Amino acid sequence: MEKISQSVVKKDHAPKVSGRSVYVADYPSEGVLCGKLLRAKVARAKVLRVEVPELPEGYFYVDAKDVPGDNNVNIVLDDTPVFCRETVEYIGEPIAMLCGPDPKVVERLRDACKVEYEELTPVLDLRAATEQFFDYNFGHGDVDKAFAEADKVYDEEFETGYQEQAYLETQGMMAEPEEGGRMFVHGSSQCAYYIHGAVARVLGCGPSGVHVLQDVTGGGFGGKEAFPSILGCQVAVAARKCGKSVRCVFDRREDMEYTSKRHPSLCRYRVAVKDGRVTAMDIDVIFNAGAYSTLSAVVLQRGIIAAPGIYNVPNVRVHGCARKTNTSPCGAYRGFGAPQTFFAVEMIMDHIARDLGVDSLAFKEAHLVKQGDTTSTCGKYHFPVPIPVMIDEIDKACDYRAKRAAYAKPQTGRFRRGIGMSMYFHGAGFTGSGERDLIKAVAKLRKYKDGTVEVLASNGEIGQGVRTTFPKIVAHELNIPLDKVYYSHPDTARVPDSGPTVASRSLMVVGELLRRAAIKLREQWVDGEEQEVEERFKEPDFMIPFYIDKFEGDAYPTYAWAVNAIELEIDTHTGLAKVLGAYGSFDVGTPIDYNVVLGQMEGGFLQGIGYASIEKMDYDAKGRIRNNSFSDYLIPTAKDVPNLKCMLHVEKYPDGPYGAKGAGELPLVGAPGAYLEAMEQALGGVTLNHAPFTAEDTLAVITKEGI
Amino acid sequence: MVNGYVAASLQEALELRAAHNVVPYAGGTDLMVENRPGVAYLFLNKVPELKRITVDDESIRIGAAVTFTEAIASPDVPQLMKEAVSRIAAPAIRNAGTFGGNLGNGSAKADSVLIEFVADAKLRLVSLRGERTVDVDKFYLGRKKLDLGNDELIAEILLPKQGLEQYYYEKVGGRNALAISRVSFAGVFAAEDGKITNVAAAFGAVADTVLRFKDIEAMLLGKTLDEAKALKADYLRAYAERMVLTRGRVSAEYRKNVCMNLLGDFLTKFGV
Repeated sequence: MEKISQSVVKKDHAPKVSGRSVYVADYPSEGVLCGKLLRAKVARAKVLRVEVPELPEGYFYVDAKDVPGDNNVNIVLDDTPVFCRETVEYIGEPIAMLCGPDPKVVERLRDACKVEYEELTPVLDLRAATEQFFDYNFGHGDVDKAFAEADKVYDEEFETGYQEQAYLETQGMMAEPEEGGRMFVHGSSQCAYYIHGAVARVLGCGPSGVHVLQDVTGGGFGGKEAFPSILGCQVAVAARKCGKSVRCVFDRREDMEYTSKRHPSLCRYRVAVKDGRVTAMDIDVIFNAGAYSTLSAVVLQRGIIAAPGIYNVPNVRVHGCARKTNTSPCGAYRGFGAPQTFFAVEMIMDHIARDLGVDSLAFKEAHLVKQGDTTSTCGKYHFPVPIPVMIDEIDKACDYRAKRAAYAKPQTGRFRRGIGMSMYFHGAGFTGSGERDLIKAVAKLRKYKDGTVEVLASNGEIGQGVRTTFPKIVAHELNIPLDKVYYSHPDTARVPDSGPTVASRSLMVVGELLRRAAIKLREQWVDGEEQEVEERFKEPDFMIPFYIDKFEGDAYPTYAWAVNAIELEIDTHTGLAKVLGAYGSFDVGTPIDYNVVLGQMEGGFLQGIGYASIEKMDYDAKGRIRNNSFSDYLIPTAKDVPNLKCMLHVEKYPDGPYGAKGAGELPLVGAPGAYLEAMEQALGGVTLNHAPFTAEDTLAVITKEGI
Repeated sequence: MVNGYVAASLQEALELRAAHNVVPYAGGTDLMVENRPGVAYLFLNKVPELKRITVDDESIRIGAAVTFTEAIASPDVPQLMKEAVSRIAAPAIRNAGTFGGNLGNGSAKADSVLIEFVADAKLRLVSLRGERTVDVDKFYLGRKKLDLGNDELIAEILLPKQGLEQYYYEKVGGRNALAISRVSFAGVFAAEDGKITNVAAAFGAVADTVLRFKDIEAMLLGKTLDEAKALKADYLRAYAERMVLTRGRVSAEYRKNVCMNLLGDFLTKFGV
């Protein structure tokens, strides 16, 4: 193992395990008002009137009229209001915030508010929804010709559900008016500068009128990419009106029901096959965006770019849209649109193989992309594609091919087994030219007189280890002990904008800037002096420029690769599935800390298995999400997949620090494909088209098929 | 502010129970989560009389404040009960959760209560007025409704000393740990001289209370295995007709399907 990969104790380990870390809810309450949101009780309505009870001294009612600037939260577009406009568009939409010193009184006042609605018909059926936030088309080759000449055409639909991030710490933000009028906003978050920009606009002040600090954050998984901008704006507006600090921390039900989740999807795949090979794919992707557009544009982009999978398909046509429904707005969650389409493509490849009478793995192998091939967006796979070797690694780890053949034979008895495999990539960093055109990351190192070095960047520690791995890179390059380099939680008042903590980009993109900055500092190092160096993002020269209007060019500079296999046993009496083993080979380039990366792989893989199996969330006929607690929305524990084996395969990326690529999202993406393929085999070769696939679904198939 | 009374003996507990409007509290694994405002608790986890597992001529007596972990470690507790309570939640909950609390919470999902139903357990209820012993199925009047006076405490669960050796148990939870039962099933079987003497079947988590149909069980009592086999289809049909299940985190249809599969498998396992 390379020296940089050797594990160290994480810098935030001691304060976190000893309970000393201060989360936003932990700041003393003295002088701080508690904010609670008055939320819409219907999915779509005109708000005619809000009757506010008489407020005791020191208590406040804050709504859209109190927004000093623009009542729109900047995310990708600006359609999300801080507080509702004339209408409410989903159950739970914030109408106002009640603030005051005593949380119980605030709650009582909030509950005493009477909202008069004129109800409108909500749109809840994704298929019937007509309003589209985003609509994209791209492709290459002659799809119609390929379909005309096909031996056989396959046409299937795939559906996936919500997934809730289920971070341990719920959403929480706090705003403190500072002397001189500046607003200090801090809380649980991933992207300090996103919040900074959004709050400045809402308060109608310049960027210097605000600064934002990421507090210690108890997990994000994408759920704290955009949402804290909304809550941050709400507390900032409230603090401005009240002239006091205002804090709003969600309870679990509120968090699960009303904050962003993974987009439910509906994907239709039409596939042309000639002479046993896939010649064309015509793909239609629909994402349920919810009531406001938030991050749907970029989630959809990543989803549709991955839609043809890692297969070399000469003719491709992709249409993707994000539709509005009157439900909680969906947003970012680890994988960011790709788990939906990779699930669909892995299933259709499996189904075609079965229909052709060939093994699914052999069929996929015959179509794999390789270095130099064209991507779905006419970019290029510039670097080696290690999938064939990784398949062999998995085969060795679990005897995949032999088991796959054995379980294909007719099974009898109460318990039946199956094994399945998925293979996929995760494009590292922002989609397209986002890093170059939008983010333009800047990172700095500041050396103090005593020789300690501080990392100045805006990427937040959310459990992924950046407070450790950033200093590790810098210490390594400066050849100084790790305890001489530190990285605090970013405050926009004192760190440059190195971009958001998203897209598996922090280590690969910002880590590389820091490595280069460290080299610069090493070259200029003068003992006993305070020194500062800066590095700015430069797009690698090899990149084929990406045009988002045409979806053409390199969508990503490089890819992290993975192969997953899942072996399970179903109980035909109960429909329960026992995961006998889950095996993952993950190529994230050089691990900058072996334990950190392995922890990411194991946790993400388990999250993916949850997404595939037990994590079921839906809304009812009124648009209300009922699975709003940890007893109604179950996520897997270690007991559900005790045999979880993750391996690292290293294919170095020359433009990442020491060869590192994006890691965070990769392990979640492929689990549904492998899980459902195994499930199909255990159920005697049925065709399945949706995830999550629960015990109830399994038993329904068993009953229907007479298994 | 939590108002509470800590009792050091059963006598003291009964006096406090009679004198105040209190919620009996043993392990607190449900009550802590519930966190009802303005409630006064009567803490029972230090009452020695409620912490014992004893055996007399007829019964195994489990004190109401005995924890699941203590029961699992006891040589006297029947294997069937151990199997069921070892599937409750996770070690931390089993270390605190008690038999009395599982009963007192009044849920049909309570894993130990299912076993009490299938085992024809009795409960000893005490108050300053005296004591009485009730059958567990009479104790449950409906969802969250118990035959327990405001001045009464559950003192002991009485399980039969014999007859639980041949059993069938299955818990269907949403995951492998920290999961509330979505369906649970327990069956107890006994035969003497080639004739069935007991064929108890209980279903948990599928209705307002644990379900057991003794009249349907009677169809097979006194029958030989061959006779029972011939009656099996009728027996299963009778259950299918009788079981009107509620939907919860899973559909009523799924629950019924699972119940019928497990019931059939239970009989098969014992040669019927």
